[in-house]
Amino acid sequence: MANMDVLNNIREAASFIRGKIDGEPEIGLILGSGLGIIAELVENPVVIAYENIPHFPVSTVEGHAGELVVGTVAGRRVILMKGRFHLYEGYPVEVVSFPVRVMKELGVKKLVVTNAAGGINTSYEVGDLMLIKDHINFTFRNPLIGPNLDELGPRFPDMSEAYSKRLRQIAREVAESQGVKLQEGVYIGLLGPSYETPAEIRMMRTLGADAVGMSTVSEVIVARHAGIEVLGFSCISNMASGILDQPLSHEEVMETTEREKQKFLRLILGIIPKL
Amino acid sequence: MPIDYVQHIREAVQWIEDRISRQALEIGLILGSGLGDLAEHVEDPVVIPYGEIPHFPVSTVAGHAGRFVIGRLEGKQAIVMQGRFHYYEGYSMKQVVFPVYVMKQLGVSTLILTNAAGGMNRAFRPGDLMLIRDHLNLTGDNPLVGVNHPELGPRFPDMSEAYSRSCRELFKQIAARYGEARGEAVRLQEGVYAGIAGPNYLPPSELTMLARLGGDAVGMSTVGETIAARHAGLQVLGVSCITDMAIGEELEPLTHEQVVEVANRTKPVFIELVRQFVREV
Repeated sequence: MANMDVLNNIREAASFIRGKIDGEPEIGLILGSGLGIIAELVENPVVIAYENIPHFPVSTVEGHAGELVVGTVAGRRVILMKGRFHLYEGYPVEVVSFPVRVMKELGVKKLVVTNAAGGINTSYEVGDLMLIKDHINFTFRNPLIGPNLDELGPRFPDMSEAYSKRLRQIAREVAESQGVKLQEGVYIGLLGPSYETPAEIRMMRTLGADAVGMSTVSEVIVARHAGIEVLGFSCISNMASGILDQPLSHEEVMETTEREKQKFLRLILGIIPKL
Repeated sequence: MPIDYVQHIREAVQWIEDRISRQALEIGLILGSGLGDLAEHVEDPVVIPYGEIPHFPVSTVAGHAGRFVIGRLEGKQAIVMQGRFHYYEGYSMKQVVFPVYVMKQLGVSTLILTNAAGGMNRAFRPGDLMLIRDHLNLTGDNPLVGVNHPELGPRFPDMSEAYSRSCRELFKQIAARYGEARGEAVRLQEGVYAGIAGPNYLPPSELTMLARLGGDAVGMSTVGETIAARHAGLQVLGVSCITDMAIGEELEPLTHEQVVEVANRTKPVFIELVRQFVREV
């Protein structure tokens, strides 16, 4: 993809969306497996299917709807991705993170990303929420490879505080006030789609990871490149391979996120007005 | 992934089925560096060079013949891959694992994978065999990336027991029996295979890193095939021939010729154990 095309694509997508909504969204939300429920709480929602947005790819995985919802949550203007793009679906990494570019172009200053993740840290329990303190990019991909577009961000963006300390503090306070147990840890992002082997999970524990998943890191790298503040959460939907003597299944992931969604929802709703 | 991947598999399967007896195959073997001689034990073999099969890539590396040998092996209907496709040759992961899906659709339910690997575990010696207990996929890629075809397997396949526990137990028993019979124990190790893209052998620091990450042996094949095999619901036995020591702190220069030389030395025992496994599995 030529440079100018990237910029044009971002602008055309943003311009299309701007034509359908009122005002500027300030908070972006990217919701993972089974957590699309938050979209139901958006007031005066404008719903735009990805397939109608110029240059937007279309989500293929079960449980990911594939639409943008723009509106108000707790008095704040939000733009919410219901369904995201994953590397394992075969999208190039710059496509996976394209919506973040569009959000930035629309005026988004803060991004909340959520995902379902496998617990590597053995003190975690299925159903725990984990505030993402930091990540390890283990996808072997980086969305910023290629000529840098200075209009979008710096050549060598800093990642020393990929997940905003300030926003994490807000999240902790809200969680405490709601009596929600909140873990805090390192998310390791993998390519997928096969689940990890027990040996890989031990390796990732050695590397310092607390939870493992197949999303988020590309989006966050682009968000930081674009100067967006990030808050990230993982729902620990299963214990990672080898911790319990049982196979992993997508059904278990979906069941857990379904079970925990109310708690999760309440937390996000509590946080949004404070961002 | 090309939309017609599934169609290509079917066409390759159909093409092979037209050339072999109607009896469904049971066991697939993918033989690594220097171990291709096992195919000589196949009775009434039908030999099919990969180049003749529709949609098949062609193997390029020295020591890999590049053909299927199909027939009876130790009383079982077997399909032997003499030569495999490696990621470092420039094939996509989809191409590397294409034969695995073909074997599955030809009826195979057990897949035996062998390879030559460098030993990172200090208890190992060149010439040892290592049962693969588990793997680390450090290739930076995955054969299942792309649209999932549910007729091939699930979107998110489990890898909690990628290498069948019962196959490993059987192989251990066979090795113990063989050792007793000849009065000298088989040096059979068990460990974690770290699969890398290659093709360069690793510098010492990378080997030290892999050892710290839990790898016992390192090689440039197998993990993609295993992931596809598990996706397809095959049970997998993996055995590495430790052809050289790959300990970062004590690394010596290595050539492919050395690898083949040690693999050749270990071959008779290796082949005997695999044949016995095929008989009993």
